[in-house]
Amino acid sequence: MNFGKNLFNGIIPENPTFRLVLGTCPTLAVTTAAINGVGMGLSTTLVLIGSNVVISALRKVIPDKIRIPAFVVIIASFVTIVGMLMKAYTPDLDKALGIYIPLIVVNCIILARAEAFAFTNTVADSFADGLGMGLGFTLALTVMGSVRELLGAGSIFGTVILGGGFEPALMMILPPGAFLAYGLLMGLLNKVSESK
Amino acid sequence: MREIGKLAFILFAISAVASFLLGFTNYMTRDTIAEQIRLENERARKEVLADAKGFEQVDQKTVLKIAKALKFENPEIITEVYIGKSGDTIVGYTIKSVPKGYAGEIGVLTGISAEGILTGMRVTSNNETPGLGAKSTDPKFYGQYTDKPIENPIEVIKSGTPGDNEIQAISGSTITSKAVTNGVNLSIQIYKELIK
Repeated sequence: MNFGKNLFNGIIPENPTFRLVLGTCPTLAVTTAAINGVGMGLSTTLVLIGSNVVISALRKVIPDKIRIPAFVVIIASFVTIVGMLMKAYTPDLDKALGIYIPLIVVNCIILARAEAFAFTNTVADSFADGLGMGLGFTLALTVMGSVRELLGAGSIFGTVILGGGFEPALMMILPPGAFLAYGLLMGLLNKVSESK
Repeated sequence: MREIGKLAFILFAISAVASFLLGFTNYMTRDTIAEQIRLENERARKEVLADAKGFEQVDQKTVLKIAKALKFENPEIITEVYIGKSGDTIVGYTIKSVPKGYAGEIGVLTGISAEGILTGMRVTSNNETPGLGAKSTDPKFYGQYTDKPIENPIEVIKSGTPGDNEIQAISGSTITSKAVTNGVNLSIQIYKELIK
């Protein structure tokens, strides 16, 4: 029961992108196309689960006062190791996701979940939280990537949808489009949940 | 005082374990990663110079000297030159350059056959705008360079039908198109010196 609740929490009620407004930097930067959103989202999910589990397992060992430096060391090492393993043994996956891995080190969602959840919860709950938050992040990035790709290039996941007479609004896949799409989507989500 | 010592020791222990794991992973994956990169580069070289069975690197000092003699603005723009061989016969050269694009350096790998025909061009790395300059990795763009003669420098045109030494710019990305073409043209100059 708890597992499901923790899992679901990250997807909608506390969606890291639209609710907690965490990790906005990669959100704005990589969502130029839907596929990038999926790639960044899934890489983050993997790292988030891993770091949540490790930090939760070590929560009794790490003293309160030095928890932040300890988190940073653990997360950075974890990300680097995952990156090296991917490069060496799964070069195809690395080609698709490798560019996102270094971005994850500086992604504050990971640190925030370590601090707000994993440090005070059991390993199983932290796993669920990592998975849920990761999926929520993936969902948000994919939606935003789709919107920007559709308006800016007339396609979603590279498949042309608005062909023919549609003149792509190039601005949507450039940085200003990121802010516009982010703001409007967040507003829309707030509006929808308000009227409930 | 005793508490500080304890905290310092715990943080030290965490960092020590993390460093050990990082070092160990690096040691385990280093050779595999180097091999993957080598294979990847080899594959790219084969793509632009299909007739070659093997490659032999030209000493970078020689390349720099040629680039300086040709009065290149930045002689280090040419990063790698390989001689493509089939048995003992030289079938052509692959030349890698890193011209400046819209967003940082673009890796341009140019293949030129011993007969003096462009056998192919690939953009091996770029940070260009997705949907615009990043389209330089589309076959539709890079395919234009294949089979061009090298007597005259390649020119970029924005509209019309490209002639013998012309290629059509990616729409909206003239800077990227020109940068890539510049890399190809500089590579051609190096090639002409190398076969002398």
